[in-house]
Amino acid sequence: MRCCDVEKLWDDMRDALEPHRAAVIKHLRACPPCQELYEQYEGIAYCLTCLPPPEPPATLVPKIIEHIRSAVKATAPDSVAKIASPLGQLYVAFRETGITYVALDRGEGDEAEFQRIKARLGRSVVPSTAPAWVNETLNAFFRSHVSHLERVDISDLTPFEQATLRATATIPPGEVRSYGWVAATIGQPNAARAVGGVMARNPVPLLYPCHRVVDCEGRLHNYEYGIDVKARILELEGCRSYKR
Amino acid sequence: MSALAPILGDYRLSSAPATMPQPARQTKGVPGPENFEAIVDDYQRRLYGFALRMTGNREDAEEIVQDSFVRAYRALAKMDPQQRAELRLQPWLYTITLNVTRNRLRSKRPTNVALDSLADPDALLNETQEGPDQPEAIVDRAADMVLVEQALLQLPMHLRAAATLRFVEGRSHPEIAEILNQPIGTVKSHVHRAVRILRRILGPQVGRIVAPDNSTNQEED
Repeated sequence: MRCCDVEKLWDDMRDALEPHRAAVIKHLRACPPCQELYEQYEGIAYCLTCLPPPEPPATLVPKIIEHIRSAVKATAPDSVAKIASPLGQLYVAFRETGITYVALDRGEGDEAEFQRIKARLGRSVVPSTAPAWVNETLNAFFRSHVSHLERVDISDLTPFEQATLRATATIPPGEVRSYGWVAATIGQPNAARAVGGVMARNPVPLLYPCHRVVDCEGRLHNYEYGIDVKARILELEGCRSYKR
Repeated sequence: MSALAPILGDYRLSSAPATMPQPARQTKGVPGPENFEAIVDDYQRRLYGFALRMTGNREDAEEIVQDSFVRAYRALAKMDPQQRAELRLQPWLYTITLNVTRNRLRSKRPTNVALDSLADPDALLNETQEGPDQPEAIVDRAADMVLVEQALLQLPMHLRAAATLRFVEGRSHPEIAEILNQPIGTVKSHVHRAVRILRRILGPQVGRIVAPDNSTNQEED
C-alpha cells in the first residue's frame, strides 16, 4: 500500500470499519512520515471535537416559538364578506388587524373574485359574513365619505406604497388632487408616475381614496373599474371639479 | 506511547472529552406541528451550535436557527401523516439549517480570507507557511480553541460544512451524505481536504497544543 493511499484512508480508519485496516497499520508501522501525518490529522480532529458546544442564549427558544407564531399568523387566511353598497355589491377581505382588500363586484362570480383576492394578498381566503366593525367601516364611508383608517391594514405594502396611500387619505372628500401633488406630498416630486402605479394597485380603494387623484389637468385619467365609476364616486362625494 | 496510538484508539479519542456533542434527545412520536415545541427544545442547541460554527457570528446563528425552525414548521404542516412518519428528523433539520446558512452567507459580503479560499480552495493548501511560528509557546487552551474556530471559518463553505458535521457534530459519513445530499465518496473527499487545509492553517503541532498530557506521554515513551 502506497503512502498516498494510506493517507486517504485516515478518516475511515477512525470508524474502525475500514477493510484495509490491517494493511494500513502494517504500512504505518514501517513509515514514520505517514505516522507523523496520521498524528497531525488526529490532532486536527481532536481539536474540532474539543470545540466547546456554544450555549444558545436563554431567549432563543421563546424567540423561535414567537417567530413561528407570527409566521403562522401572517399566513392565516383572510376572511372575505360580500357587502351591499350604493355602488353595488362589494367584496371585502379582512383579518383581525383590519380590512385588507376592497373590490367592487365585476359580475364574474365569487370564484373568480376570490382567486383575484388570493393572488393579490398572497394568502388563502375563506368566505365569511362581515362582522359589525367591517360593516360599520364601509357604511361610514358611504355616509360621510370619511375612512376609519385605523381599521384598514396596509402593512403588507411597501413603505412607498403606504406613504402614497396615506397621502391620498389627506385629500378632503369632494376634492381632487393630481398624481404630482401626491408625489410632492410624500417628498418625491418626480415620482408622479410611480404614484399612478400605486393607485392602480391599491388593494383598498374607497377607504384609501385613490379615486380623488386625477391627472394634472383635472381629468379622471383612469380607474380600476372604469372612469364612469370613478366619476360616480366623486359625485357621491359632491365633487364637480374634474374633467372627463 | 506508540505513534500508532491515535488510530488504534488512544487517549485522545477513547476518552471522549466532556465537550463532545451529546446525541440530541429524540422527540417522542411522529414529528408534526402539535409537538413542534418539543422539537424546538430538543434540537435548538445542536442547530445553534452548527450555525455558529458555520458563520462564526452569534447573531447570524440565532437568526438562522429561527428561520430554519419556521421553515421546518411550515414544511411539516404541509406533509401528510405518512411523510411525517417516514421523515428522518435530525438529518432533515440539519439540511434545512445548512440551506438557510448558505443563503444567508451568500447574501453577505464574505471576508477577504473566505473570499480567497472560495475562489481557490487549493490556495490554502499550497501556502508554504507552516502555521503559527512558535506553537509550543501557546499554552492557553481557550486561545487555542479560538485559533481552531478561526481556522474552521477560513475553509470554503462546502469543506467547512463537511468538517463541522464530521468532527464537531460527530456525524457518520452516511449521515453527512444524507444531510448534504452528496455521494459518500464526495463527503469523504471533502472531509479529507478540509483536514489537510486545517493542518496547513494551524500547523503540524496543533494536536499537541490542545492535548496537554501528550508531552508527558511522549516523555514516557
